[in-house]
Amino acid sequence: MFRQIYMLYGLLILATVGYAQYNGWSLDTMNQLKNVPKSVRDNPGSYRSVYSGYHHYTGGK
Amino acid sequence: MNPQPPPVGGPKPRVSGLNCPNCGGSITLRALGQASSVVCEGCGSILDAKDPKLQIIQTFHRIVSSDPPLIPLGTRGKIRGTDYEVIGFERRTITVDLVEYHWHEYILFNPYKGFRYLTEYQGHWNDISICKELPSMSSSFNISPRVNYLGESYQHFQSADANTDFVLGEFPWQVRVGERASVTDYVHPPRVLSGEKMAGEVTWSIGEYIPGRDVWKAFNLPGSPPAAIGVYENEPSPFRANLKAVWIGFAALAFGLLVMMIGFDVFAMNSSVFQGAYRFTSGYPRAEASFVTNTFELGGRPSNVEVTTSTDLQNNWIYLNYALINQDTGQAWDFGREVSFYSGYDSDGSWTEGSRNAAIVVPSVPPGQYYLRIEPEADTVHPPVTYTVEVRRDVPVSSFYGIGFLALLIPAILITWRSASFEKSRWSESDHPHSPIIPEGS
Amino acid sequence: MTQPTATCPNCGAKIVFKWSSSVQTVCDYCKSVLVRTDIDLQVLGKVGDLPPDISPIQINAAGVYRNKSFVVIGRILYEYDQGGWNEWHLMMNDGGSGWLSDAQEEYGVSFSSKPSAGQALPGESQLEVGRELTWDGTTYTLSVITQAYFRGVEGELPFKFWDKSDMVFADLRSSSRKFATLDYSDAEPALYLGEFVEFEDLKLKNLRKFEGWS
Repeated sequence: MFRQIYMLYGLLILATVGYAQYNGWSLDTMNQLKNVPKSVRDNPGSYRSVYSGYHHYTGGK
Repeated sequence: MNPQPPPVGGPKPRVSGLNCPNCGGSITLRALGQASSVVCEGCGSILDAKDPKLQIIQTFHRIVSSDPPLIPLGTRGKIRGTDYEVIGFERRTITVDLVEYHWHEYILFNPYKGFRYLTEYQGHWNDISICKELPSMSSSFNISPRVNYLGESYQHFQSADANTDFVLGEFPWQVRVGERASVTDYVHPPRVLSGEKMAGEVTWSIGEYIPGRDVWKAFNLPGSPPAAIGVYENEPSPFRANLKAVWIGFAALAFGLLVMMIGFDVFAMNSSVFQGAYRFTSGYPRAEASFVTNTFELGGRPSNVEVTTSTDLQNNWIYLNYALINQDTGQAWDFGREVSFYSGYDSDGSWTEGSRNAAIVVPSVPPGQYYLRIEPEADTVHPPVTYTVEVRRDVPVSSFYGIGFLALLIPAILITWRSASFEKSRWSESDHPHSPIIPEGS
Repeated sequence: MTQPTATCPNCGAKIVFKWSSSVQTVCDYCKSVLVRTDIDLQVLGKVGDLPPDISPIQINAAGVYRNKSFVVIGRILYEYDQGGWNEWHLMMNDGGSGWLSDAQEEYGVSFSSKPSAGQALPGESQLEVGRELTWDGTTYTLSVITQAYFRGVEGELPFKFWDKSDMVFADLRSSSRKFATLDYSDAEPALYLGEFVEFEDLKLKNLRKFEGWS
């Protein structure tokens, strides 16, 4: 009985991994935006990023 | 012409009503004359059932009321397709490490099939009958670690001396309260092979574990059976049977995962669609650091995009804001990566911290024309950093397979651990609590 | 098959032998124990009251053992310190004689056997529990030595069995269902080889009915 459940679960895992790989999933976090204007190509400074202003001294000795 | 001959054989037996010679109470004989001894319920005297005058064999002080039989005497039930009547009951005790353990035995009777026994200990029941065949080492009653019986190997579980505490009803042997027997149990779950030596004679019986609810169903008893406490010597493991199957399943699934990983590795495009090299210096006054790259094409089906940053950092850090922008649709993915690398030399030797490179995977990017907007950041004053940015289309993500492998492994480990705990619990009650778990072959 | 008939020398009743090789029988009417000699029937004595019948097997019960059908035609009753048992005499359909031992509904079918030439059976004084003996390729272990007493006879027997006092039986068991019995009721020890059987394997018919049991 355990065996059937486990195999089903395992196949589900495999299917998920395959689907993830095929559809290009990623584990990294990011932000999606729409309607970025074409003017950004001429003026990259006009683009406001969520991640900008990251002034962070992260370490080292 | 001859008259009818008298009937053959002796007088017919019946469930007879007799009186106890000690107290006069009525005695019911259910075993139709087959029993050797019968106990008077009124005064607790053990009487000779074969003697028509029911001679008293032994009297004992009754302590029955505190521990009555769970299946009342006289109840009939179906075991293995045959009707049996409960005719006798006894409580026996073994003492191990100064602790007393009691169990109960029920004598079952059928006039054609003879006698059978049910034992009960802490809610665990066993269906027992006398062996017709001898187990492999029976001639000497010495304890050996393993015994073979009917093609199965049984492991020694426990040897102890059993004392009969009290008795009720009828018995096919001349039972005595206080009689002692040497009992040895060998197990091969769900069966148990039990050898009993009493007064020089050795009897072997074979038992099979039966769940309490099956006993209740067989005897049509009201209510529910007592809960089973702990793991009993021959209680079948709900895990053992599945363990091997699950690990074989794991091997198959892990192999499948490997095949998938290799497959994607071979068939993924993994094409490098853009590469650029840049230099970030701290200028004064600070110029606009952001810039855009040339456009590049991301082809194929919607798949991932890997953006790798490779630097020449030395004891420094840089933060890169990225935006992957679709030139036509205006759809963008916004992400950032910090890259830092430090190294040095101290009393333990040389050390490093961080990495010169960083990669990020952008999910499910539809095909089209794209460019990157890059905005580097660093300390206000910093040495110049040279870095390259590479964009690859449709890369295999190895961490999926790692996670998948773990997900497959965890249930297999869990069931193995639970099975091991179950067996440990089983053997903790035996003479060999630290014995290694010997796998049950067939 | 014609059944030999005779007349009881004690009471004149008709005696029918179901089995042509029967040596002893009991008159149903007067309970005289009769033995066949070349000429006539001799009276040995009278059988006393038998104990209440508790076995489901009775005379004229029929069954099958290993594809050979049989009819129960006689019995010897034994007693020992723990109780008693019956040895039912079976008339096999091939004309031979077998025994069905019935002790508290533990059943075993056995046949008189001769050990292979040169192999002597142990004497009564040589018996000890645990001793191993081999016949016909099977090793038996001596399990129990029983001191038994003659309690009674019934029906037809293949030999004379009367005026017996105590006798010794040795029970030998094996790792299979086979068992062996050494019978010391006569001057010469007798060997019986057989196997334990389940009640249903015998497919018995015409059994004794018990009140309250189907």
